[in-house]
Amino acid sequence: MAQGVSALDPAVLDRLASLSLVARTVVEGFMAGQHRSARLGSSVEFAQHREYVPGDDLRRVDWKVYARQDRLVVKQYVEETNLVCHLLVDASESMSYGSKPWTKFDYARWCAASLAHLVLMQRDTAGLVLFDREFRAKVRPGNGALQRKEILETLDKAEPKGSTGIGSVVEWITPKIKQRGIVCIFSDFFDDLAGVTQGLRRLVHAGHEPVVFQILDPEELAFDFNGLLRLDGLEGSGMQKIDARAIREAYREEIQKHQRELSRQASLLSIDVVTVSTADSLDAVLSTYLARRSARARGGRR
Amino acid sequence: MGGWVGGFVNAGLVAGAALALVPLIIHILNRRRHKPMPWAAMRFVQAAHKRTRRRVRMENWLLLFLRMAAIALLALAIARPFTGEKSPLAGITETRRDLVVILDGSASTLWREGVETTFERGVGRARELLRDLSGARGDRALVVLAGNVPRTAPWTSPEAAAGLLETFQPTEEGLDLAAALGDAIDAAQRENALGARGALEVRLLTDLQRRSFLFEGGGEGREPLGEALDRLAELGVKVLVEDVSTAASQPQNLGISAVAPSTRVLGPMITTDVRVEVRNFGPETKSGVRVALEVDGERRPAQIVDIPARGRTEAVFAVSFPRAGEHTLLARIEDGDKLPLDNTRAHVIHVPPPARVLLVNGAPGAVIEEDEVGYLRAVLEPPLDDGGGIGIASPFEPRTIPPEDLGTTAGDPAAYDVIWLANVESLPAAAVDRLEPWVAAGGALVVSLGDRVDASSWNARMWRADGSGLLPAEIGARVAVRERSASWHRVKSFALDHPALAFFADERFQPLLTEVPVHEFFATRLVPGAKSLAVLDDDGSNALLVERSYDRGRVLLWTSSIDPAWTRMPQSPATLVPLVHELLRYARALDEEPRNLPVGAPLGAEVATFPRGMSVVRPDGSKKPLDGEAQSTPGNRWRLPSVPGRETEASGLYSIQTEGAGVLSFALVIDPLEGDLDRLSLDEVGGIHPALVAVRNEGSSNDAAGAEAPRRGELWRPIAALCLAFLVFESLFGAWIGRRRRVRA
Repeated sequence: MAQGVSALDPAVLDRLASLSLVARTVVEGFMAGQHRSARLGSSVEFAQHREYVPGDDLRRVDWKVYARQDRLVVKQYVEETNLVCHLLVDASESMSYGSKPWTKFDYARWCAASLAHLVLMQRDTAGLVLFDREFRAKVRPGNGALQRKEILETLDKAEPKGSTGIGSVVEWITPKIKQRGIVCIFSDFFDDLAGVTQGLRRLVHAGHEPVVFQILDPEELAFDFNGLLRLDGLEGSGMQKIDARAIREAYREEIQKHQRELSRQASLLSIDVVTVSTADSLDAVLSTYLARRSARARGGRR
Repeated sequence: MGGWVGGFVNAGLVAGAALALVPLIIHILNRRRHKPMPWAAMRFVQAAHKRTRRRVRMENWLLLFLRMAAIALLALAIARPFTGEKSPLAGITETRRDLVVILDGSASTLWREGVETTFERGVGRARELLRDLSGARGDRALVVLAGNVPRTAPWTSPEAAAGLLETFQPTEEGLDLAAALGDAIDAAQRENALGARGALEVRLLTDLQRRSFLFEGGGEGREPLGEALDRLAELGVKVLVEDVSTAASQPQNLGISAVAPSTRVLGPMITTDVRVEVRNFGPETKSGVRVALEVDGERRPAQIVDIPARGRTEAVFAVSFPRAGEHTLLARIEDGDKLPLDNTRAHVIHVPPPARVLLVNGAPGAVIEEDEVGYLRAVLEPPLDDGGGIGIASPFEPRTIPPEDLGTTAGDPAAYDVIWLANVESLPAAAVDRLEPWVAAGGALVVSLGDRVDASSWNARMWRADGSGLLPAEIGARVAVRERSASWHRVKSFALDHPALAFFADERFQPLLTEVPVHEFFATRLVPGAKSLAVLDDDGSNALLVERSYDRGRVLLWTSSIDPAWTRMPQSPATLVPLVHELLRYARALDEEPRNLPVGAPLGAEVATFPRGMSVVRPDGSKKPLDGEAQSTPGNRWRLPSVPGRETEASGLYSIQTEGAGVLSFALVIDPLEGDLDRLSLDEVGGIHPALVAVRNEGSSNDAAGAEAPRRGELWRPIAALCLAFLVFESLFGAWIGRRRRVRA
């Protein structure tokens, strides 16, 4: 495996002191491999050429121009020139759960930080919103090094607390997003799906491109517990005494049902859903998503 | 028992069913042991819990129930519940039978009517009873051969018990029914066959000899039978009594009940009457019964006697033994009957050699009246042959010496059986030193006092206050009447049952002792352990005759003189002869071990010389070396190894043969009353005790009485099977649940 991939192991990232370093490590890591020239934005609509700089994806080099003019240029597409990425990060208490040394929220902010770094590195615009049941903090979309610094600092300072209200927050924030762009939502989506769907629908109707990053802990997926447990719900969701083995199968069915429904609803809205486990390598997460976007872009689908 | 469960063999273990609460307690404790954990995806947990709650609860309760039930059933199975035949559960019970067969093996069962003896019929009946049992079903049998001592086999399968029966032989003993029943109860309780009242079946196969069943005032040894039957009644056990004899209620039987000389045999060549007592236990007079006697194997001419019904007769044989020593007598009824065992009876008789008596004359005189031992010698020396050519043997061989010869070759104590010190002034220490070990080894010392006696010297040499000296009493002052012609003392009282004075117990002869004047005597003070055999009527009630044992020997002290100077006894031959003779016979008699014993008694004896090559010869002529070595005993004697009782179960003459110590004979005899075959009727049996039930043998143990015998049906097997089923189901169900709940790959 390429060195960059191993550097993206969450356990490694967890040991990095600053989010800035995390973001840079992630982005440089996956760009050092086959994702060297990956970009968040990609489209088939050719806009212009620009000079080749080291690090650009060689597949985007216009070889015809090189043959004719003996200079290396790369093709640019429409979105590349004016991408706005809105990062919505769920900072509710449920995101504070983690069976690893890092929580879902840690993973979410690594993802968000990495994407923000990638977008800003590409001289695009990125903004940040932290929410729980309602809006908690924001960084207006912008670009440049200062923007990056502000986004990373805001992410760094945030603590997960409060209950979740994804749908209502997204509905509320949609009219406030002036620039159309990609809206990446980082959450566990442990919320009423009808409200979530409603919020996503509003985003789509507003011309945005939502991307759902559902971040889950491996234990929340597998529920590989044994014995008698007293589960104390985060976000004040009550307490339940259970025999873990007795309800395991039913639990999995429930969570899988929820995920299927989320995927179905998102699919109906042509929204990408990236289900992520906090045990997964970040590069796999991002590359999977970016590859899918690229493939879609080449296929002409929006 | 009409209920579902009649009881429990191990009632105390029923409490173990409480252990069934353990799984419940564990379940309750576990409910408090939920591990707390924060959780984000509560909605899914709550939804899953709601879906599965009911099913999970039912599964858990079912598992709990199965575990509790399995434990409770296991505890119940171990407690071994049982029930009766009328219980609704009877169909699933295991009706195991525990049968005790008590086989009467007493001498009376040797009665033979036709081909079989009563004992053989009993064995046959026992086989029938055992055939009705089934080892495969778990039936058990315990067989007891009843005699004086029960021979009880351990609980075993019916087949093994039948095999043991084949080894049983009738005894020549009486029947101790109490011991047999007690043994059977003990064995049953040890093996837990008595877990339920009445679960044990006891069959007594007997000839119903009346004397075996008497226990209320029926004589010695009968009370234990009542106690044994009471114990059985408390346990709810009945003894089913079967009559295995074909004899009439009072069968005709003759038996020899006693063989013995009518008087003590005095010595060789002295004719003695040997009386053979014959009893007729039957209801009819028997005439012309021939009774023979063998003396040392030589048959004497038979005598013909008539014996009344339920009566007895004696045949008297005049026997003269040619030599001293052991002689055997064997009496026999020469007419056969159906119980031949009691038609012979043996007896061993010891003919003592003449007693060697040493008279130490402390006051010799020229004439008998003046000689201290004159009269003594006269009563001890054999009468002169009057020319008739017939010599009469004397039981005594007296010899007289002066005191100074005591301890020399002429007066060596070892050569005598009795030494009589008559009016000896004193004894030198050396003589005392020789006398003491001689008496201790079995010698007899008789001391008569007189005017020559130096009391202080005697006391100094032969008396000690603690009784360790030879004298049985301290010699005190002389006591004499003032006027011999006017006053005298008499014997006030004497030991009537003492062998030395038994002659005078007869009222006709008492005056010969009590009326003879005693003018002078020594007062005495007895040492511990000594006893007065005759007491005078003086103020101090002094003893005239004192005795003490001294190790194996005896010392007798006559406190007066044996000459006419102090008492008129010497001049009363009717007094002196029996007094001296009996005194000497008693004095010299050693405590020999008995040679006439009941069957089953061990044989033992002491001999004077070291025995080699010891062996025992049984009545059937078989010979077997004795096990063990002879042990030395005080007095330079040797004790032979004992022949144990299990080797003397047959009646008749036994002999222990040795090289160097001769042959010792023993006569082992049966209880003559075993010949009394007077039988109970079956109807009388029930009236003896409620625990006894008469059964008429109808060829099967499934007779009416056998059917009355309570059958215990045990339930432990079906309960154990149910427990096992619960455990298996619990395991399978638990595994199925676990598999369902396991993480799927």
